[in-house]
Amino acid sequence: MILEAKHINKFFLAPEKQQVLKNVSLSLNTGELVSVYGESGSGKSTLLYILSTLDIDFSGGLEIYGQNIKELSSQELPDFRNKHIGFVYQFHYLLPEFTVLQNVMLPAMKLNKKNKEEVRDDALVLLDELGVKEYAKRPSYKLSGGQQQRVAIARALINDPSLIIADEPTGNLDQKNSALIFELLSEITNYKNKTIVVATHDSKIYKNSHRTIEMIDGVIRL
Amino acid sequence: MSIQVFNRTNIFIALQYLSVRKRQSFLAMIGVLLGVTTFIVMVNFMTGVNDFLDDAVFNGSPDIIISATSEKESKNRGFVGLAGISEEKRNRIDSILKVDQNVESYAHQIASPAILISNSKQFPGSIQGVFPIQERTMVDLERRLLKGKGFQSLSKKNTILLGVSLANRLQVSTGDTLKMIVPNGNTIQLKVSGIFSFGITTIDNIRTYVSADILQDLLVQEKGITNVHVKLKNRDNVRLKIALTSAVDAIDTEDWKENNKTIVIGNKVRDILTWSVSFALLLVAGFGIYNILNITVIQKRKDIAVLKTIGYSSNDIVFIFLVQSIIIGVLGSIMGGVLGYILSYLISTTPLDTSDFIIVETYPINFKISYYILGFSFGVLTTVFAGYFPSRKASRVDPVHIIRGL
Repeated sequence: MILEAKHINKFFLAPEKQQVLKNVSLSLNTGELVSVYGESGSGKSTLLYILSTLDIDFSGGLEIYGQNIKELSSQELPDFRNKHIGFVYQFHYLLPEFTVLQNVMLPAMKLNKKNKEEVRDDALVLLDELGVKEYAKRPSYKLSGGQQQRVAIARALINDPSLIIADEPTGNLDQKNSALIFELLSEITNYKNKTIVVATHDSKIYKNSHRTIEMIDGVIRL
Repeated sequence: MSIQVFNRTNIFIALQYLSVRKRQSFLAMIGVLLGVTTFIVMVNFMTGVNDFLDDAVFNGSPDIIISATSEKESKNRGFVGLAGISEEKRNRIDSILKVDQNVESYAHQIASPAILISNSKQFPGSIQGVFPIQERTMVDLERRLLKGKGFQSLSKKNTILLGVSLANRLQVSTGDTLKMIVPNGNTIQLKVSGIFSFGITTIDNIRTYVSADILQDLLVQEKGITNVHVKLKNRDNVRLKIALTSAVDAIDTEDWKENNKTIVIGNKVRDILTWSVSFALLLVAGFGIYNILNITVIQKRKDIAVLKTIGYSSNDIVFIFLVQSIIIGVLGSIMGGVLGYILSYLISTTPLDTSDFIIVETYPINFKISYYILGFSFGVLTTVFAGYFPSRKASRVDPVHIIRGL
């Protein structure tokens, strides 16, 4: 088991007090592709932010890799995230000041386990696997949406994290690119033995994932 | 902030941000540059003027002048009698001055009103009779001589030293002779043995030195003196005045501050002006940096959120933004120092159309390394301060908030 969440409750205080997550418990195993689907406002994004340790303002327990997230200080939390969790967003969010290659290298440079040349080689291998190696030297904003999303996946993989969290990764892409991204995610789970949690509206994704979790009004149905 | 935020990766990110916004960064740097340049030029110039005036006025005049109380009255009575300091009082004053720790040196003088007459002009004024050996410890006249010789030439009888403006007015030069008439009607022929300039017209216009012996003879005042001049080690400590007036009856003491109020105030005004203008300019430069970084932080909220989700901590973010402003500050300050030096140098070589008040060929400029260090520290401190608040703001960006698209 790589992740275990127990009885998670989450409230939004503004504009008015509202319970977004109601007693959510779930556990994830290594090598699983799990999709979370539900209407917008159902709480699936909120759940993802909590699972990815970005939002720690909740009640209940969350253990990732046997580490109780609530026990990490605000200094340790970013390091933990850097090491163990990769993140892919709906709007790819590459840093426009940096080249494609630099974007992929940034998390590894933060981790500082390998020297710059090794990091560069790792990044190029990933970019190659994801089919965007030829754009490595380009400024990231000059790529198309589908290409940018593939770069973002490479960035999420660079530190070889066990858990990858993707928030509507195909939400902003056309059919062809969506299919491509989905295939990549499946391959990553199957061949790289990662656990991937995907929040999505995309029926193709949730029908083809190992497990689906439906969220309705802050409650999950496994 | 822990030391681990200071790493190549964070610096790399900061540099990348700076280089993408070259124009804005450059403008911010120009702001710092102007602030530091102005500071250095102003400080160099203002302290240059202050030091020049200090040197000319205060080093050319004694720090404390001791005179007999009735001297002024006798002057008002029409230059008849000469109120001297009696030998007994003089000895008491000398004994105090000899033991006082703050006394650098002192000299006796006999001053008298007199009329100087050259071939074509005449001039009434106050003549100072000095004892050359004593007076040399008080006034460094050698440095201020334009022609002829200094105090040592007074040991020969019948010689006079003149301020340059006075010499011009009398139309005499070294080697020429003058006639001097003192209030009791006695006259003497004097040879001009030296012409000096203190650079201050008010001094160069009236100051004359003759040997005290000559004046004592002319006034029939054997061993008579009218003033004691005192030079202090620490000029700001004038407590000696109290010791003197309480120990010796019927003497007046005047210190340099009382005698040169306008110059003392002028120095203060220049100091205030320098500091306030420089401070204002650096403040403006600081606001420039604050503004630019603030806008950057607002524009880059998404990027900051991304950096946080991929593992960069709040301290990393503070560092990344603060480094940008420090780089701007350091480069701007260094360039400001260089430009400040160049401008100061140019000003120091600019001929000055002299006013009546001071006589100087070029603008007085002070080149002190400490002003450059101060200007540099000011520039960097301002930018660190201005950069800190936007940086802290950046570090507080909540990634969830941003990713949600709120």
